[in-house]
Amino acid sequence: MLIYIGQRVLLIAFTVLVVSFVVFLGIHSLPGNTFVNERVRGASLALLLHEYGLDRPVLVQYWDFISHAVQGNFGVSLVNRGEPITPIVLRELSVSAELGGAALVITIGMGVLFGVIAALRQNTWVDYVLTTFAIIGYSVPSFVIASLFVLIFGIWLFDVTGGSFYYPLTWDGTYGTLIELSVPAVALGLFTSSLVARITRASMLDVIHQDYVRTARAKGLKNSVVVVRHALRNALIPVTSVLGPLIISIITGSVVIENIFGIPGLGKEFINSILSHDYNVTVAVFTMYALLVGVANLAVDLAYTVIDPRIRY
Amino acid sequence: MRPHKLTIGGLGLGVLGLLSAAACGSTSTAQQQTKLAANQVLHFAVFNDFDTLDPSVSDLEVDSEIAQNVFDGPFRYDNNLQIIPDIATVVPTQANGGISADGLTYTIHLKNNVTFSNGDKVTSKDFLYSWNRAAALNGPYAASIFGPVVGFAAVQAAASAKPAGGVSTQQNIENQLAAGNSAFMMSGLTAPDPYTVVVKLANPAGFFLSALTLQATSGMIIDEKVVKNDPVNWWSKPSEFIGTGAYKMTEYIPHQDMKFVSVPNWWGTPKPVLTQVNIDIKASDTATQSTAIAAWEQGKYDLLGYGGSSSLPIADILRIHSSSSESSQLKLIPKGRTTWVSFMVNASYNPTTAAGDPFTGTSQAAIDLRKAFALAIDDKSLANIVCDNLVCIPATGGLITKGLTGYAGDGTDPLAKFDATQAKQLLQQAEQLNPSYTNEVQHLTYVYNQGGLNDSVAQFLQGDWQTNLGIHVSILGQTQPPFIGNRLKGDYVMSRDGWQFDYNHPQDWYDNLWGKAVLSADASTSGYDSATYDSTLAQADKLPLQQALPLYAQLAAELQAQAVYIPLYYSVGTFLIHSYVQGAGSTTQADYYWNGISILSH
Amino acid sequence: MAVVAAPRADQEFISSTVVREQASLWRDGLRRLRRNRLALVSAVYLILLAIVALVALVWTPYPTSAIGVAPIYSGPSGSHLLGADELGRDLLSRLMAGAQISLAVGLLSAAIVLGIGVVVGLTAGYFRGWVDGVISTVINIFYGIPALLVALLMVTVLGRSFTNVVIAISATVWMDVARLVRGQTLSLREREYVEAARASGARNLKILFGHILPNALGPIIVAVTFVIPSAILFEAFLSYLGVGIPPPTPTWGAIASEGVQALRLSPHILLFPSLALSLTLLAFNFLGDGLRDAFDPRQKR
Repeated sequence: MLIYIGQRVLLIAFTVLVVSFVVFLGIHSLPGNTFVNERVRGASLALLLHEYGLDRPVLVQYWDFISHAVQGNFGVSLVNRGEPITPIVLRELSVSAELGGAALVITIGMGVLFGVIAALRQNTWVDYVLTTFAIIGYSVPSFVIASLFVLIFGIWLFDVTGGSFYYPLTWDGTYGTLIELSVPAVALGLFTSSLVARITRASMLDVIHQDYVRTARAKGLKNSVVVVRHALRNALIPVTSVLGPLIISIITGSVVIENIFGIPGLGKEFINSILSHDYNVTVAVFTMYALLVGVANLAVDLAYTVIDPRIRY
Repeated sequence: MRPHKLTIGGLGLGVLGLLSAAACGSTSTAQQQTKLAANQVLHFAVFNDFDTLDPSVSDLEVDSEIAQNVFDGPFRYDNNLQIIPDIATVVPTQANGGISADGLTYTIHLKNNVTFSNGDKVTSKDFLYSWNRAAALNGPYAASIFGPVVGFAAVQAAASAKPAGGVSTQQNIENQLAAGNSAFMMSGLTAPDPYTVVVKLANPAGFFLSALTLQATSGMIIDEKVVKNDPVNWWSKPSEFIGTGAYKMTEYIPHQDMKFVSVPNWWGTPKPVLTQVNIDIKASDTATQSTAIAAWEQGKYDLLGYGGSSSLPIADILRIHSSSSESSQLKLIPKGRTTWVSFMVNASYNPTTAAGDPFTGTSQAAIDLRKAFALAIDDKSLANIVCDNLVCIPATGGLITKGLTGYAGDGTDPLAKFDATQAKQLLQQAEQLNPSYTNEVQHLTYVYNQGGLNDSVAQFLQGDWQTNLGIHVSILGQTQPPFIGNRLKGDYVMSRDGWQFDYNHPQDWYDNLWGKAVLSADASTSGYDSATYDSTLAQADKLPLQQALPLYAQLAAELQAQAVYIPLYYSVGTFLIHSYVQGAGSTTQADYYWNGISILSH
Repeated sequence: MAVVAAPRADQEFISSTVVREQASLWRDGLRRLRRNRLALVSAVYLILLAIVALVALVWTPYPTSAIGVAPIYSGPSGSHLLGADELGRDLLSRLMAGAQISLAVGLLSAAIVLGIGVVVGLTAGYFRGWVDGVISTVINIFYGIPALLVALLMVTVLGRSFTNVVIAISATVWMDVARLVRGQTLSLREREYVEAARASGARNLKILFGHILPNALGPIIVAVTFVIPSAILFEAFLSYLGVGIPPPTPTWGAIASEGVQALRLSPHILLFPSLALSLTLLAFNFLGDGLRDAFDPRQKR
């Protein structure tokens, strides 16, 4: 087990290195740089480039970046002259993590719940309604759903909601309130929860018709006991197997959701930094994402051993 | 020009249109509420984070429109764009002796009650420090402002030499100035007594005062005490971001917000009424701006458009404009910005681009070809379709924006005419004179920076060239940083070009867009240059404004005769200001100062 | 599959059933597919969509790039059934043209993913050993990076164009098919007929493409069918973020992202392309579901 964890950690480190290197090269290969405009040119441009070390060979710059990054220092922003990046990225990471975490809870919670209910009430109207919701969830692009949420909850229902869930004016430090989080989290988690619902429903249906469930029922166990203790446990196994991709899906979805809801998280930062050619921030954000995904995947795989004792690494 | 990141969307409105919009849109205003609110806090959002608020090196509109409330210079622009004294007692003129008869010496007398917000008194040594530092740092406006001063070139040379001992260039400048190293001080800048500053110019420069007055740039006065130990980041820390203005910064969280409070017992006038100004820093994409507008509509923000963020998404502007309850709070204020299409016309400036570029040269064929493309564009239709005649005005009076000094008058620009028949004729003529054009015009690309209205404009241009000339021009949208750099090197055969004026003087335009100076600095989109242009420009720059105007007009005429550009539109800034906010607005140049704003009870 | 001794006495019946197993799997599958009404409706919709896309090549109510034929942002009306966009172009025409692009993006991405996934998966699964190790590591690395970010970066670096967008999309979804093919190859290579083929001296390539691939084809086709809607959705996202296929090409995603900006002014600009996108995605998903149910030999009834 420890060997397995060790191997995975190595893989994560390797992946993060490769990713940061490729991204670094990619961004630096783009023509033009952050500073130049009508008034900054010639000697003053050269001076600026020198101050920020942008006139050195790319490999030297990368080495400088990575040797500082492993110590937790991501360098300074090129667009906000001289501002250190690490506190910005960390602050935004916690915002995104909170949003992503809430979305994950909704994904699993809503998805499993709806999947189980739909399976238990197979072919009734409950099943059809829930299945339809799930279908809408994964076939309508999330930016459409998010825009509609903003419209419905933020604007039409402003008197009810106070609009505090979007365009939060006070992300004090890092955390928003539960209400502020809930609508964006649902918008973010809708796509993945629909997938979970489908998988759960299918696998529940599978399990319910299995012999051991019939046996349990025949033994006279209450239906709810049967469902939860026997059926659900086994039905969840396929769900946990897709948790990794789900987390990745939430991470990528957050880029768009943060944009629409005006949440100052990592996804927003990423897009801005690409558009404004703030190399250092782009590489920093990308590296953080690679790290996040690697760690999340490892956590999921480790959790898998808890859920399914047959799995051993 | 104050660059905008990403949203150089041109928006314009005719004065007539402005009046009619105000008349039709406004409902009868409620009885004048003169009671001030108890809570004098102004809250708004900007859509770009700051580059730097250090006046000596700042550049963006968002930087200057915020920093203008923190710093002062000897003079400032009032709401009518007239130069009035700020730290100085009077504006120097030849009449009052402030300017010598030969136009080479400027004497500035300072008020004796001016203080920084940390209590330090302002004397002439602060002027010397600030201006020498700005010259040494060679920021975006240093050359425009201090270029004419004696000793500027020497300071530039001394400061650009890479310092020994691993000290950063900026820190080195601070050290040298603190030590009194005269190599870093302009010899033409002297301080005979604590409240007098004398500036000697190498050549007469009619635009000197205009440039010096430019808010929040190199002419502003900063406190050496707080800058010298942290020359790069002092602007981001409340304890070091010190100026003479009515407001001081209390908090800055990058990419999130910045907060200001009014300076107690401020020396200037009008005294600030707002006690706090809170600014949310948002991203510049359209979705964010739309959401911010919704937030404004719901009362979370008091106004939008300040801080270089007056290019609001057109869909929302249209919606608010047609809403009877809200349209009175939409202010459409012409901004001094023009947008046009530039041709790369100089083969020797960028030979690589010139290879496939039919627009190079001064031959009749080339001129005819450029003119053909210009006449094929219907500016009125563009303003109608892309801007709904709200946020842009067709540019029919030359490239200097309507309302600014040097504007030639409506309808005077022959390149702004729309004549499809003549366009086709000219095209045929050009192809007859130079048969290689027939092939070359099939491979043209119009390059522009994405964002704002630029995508719509590009598609409109493509449509007009296709319909009226029968030529398919590809369009290519890029992000801002590579676009600007490449365009200034002359990489693009046809590109979106534009300029927002800094100070109301034609020199601001003609010196920075065409001619030998920008050519040799690799900063010329079109590469246009001629001996007549250079000599006329040099002459005009020396003369006082009134005498220089006819010469500048000659430059405009030359550019038009050579068909160096295709005029498109003048921009109009969009401001959303709630009715309970008094004293907020904008000139064509910049936002009104915060110390004129007050919140009525509501 | 080897014949297992069955409790039935009728061996002849069994052997004839087994021998025809391959052929009847397909026929059985198609029969089951035909009975799946959702999949049928989806197939019909997709065929109609393809027809619309082809028609759009030669005719649309208005030229797709004709600016100003309607007032900007105007809603549905008699002469413009679906309204107009921000430049006054007819939305119906642009949506018809968008069908071409979306289908092209989807099909092209699927084709590329199929090609790469099959080659990589077969190689890894058949040769195993260090080859498999290297390939699996590469696959895992790709899995470790959020797809959208990779695509965003690729398009930013390579530039916005139809080709680059397809490449960026393919580069981020090929891993699923590769892994599937690898898994299938790993299990199929142990079958007797493969051993038999090898024993009779067949070359590796022939074994791979002649024996293993045809038997793995079912799940592969299903997986690739699901790639198409992913690719189309992905393109919509890239367009929303400003790095999709550049204007004036009318992709559904680009029109929808314009529509987001104008949601409160002209909701139809968001509504119609989103509807088109959703219906098409649904259709592909149902079709994929149907294919999977139809060709899954472990059919549970």
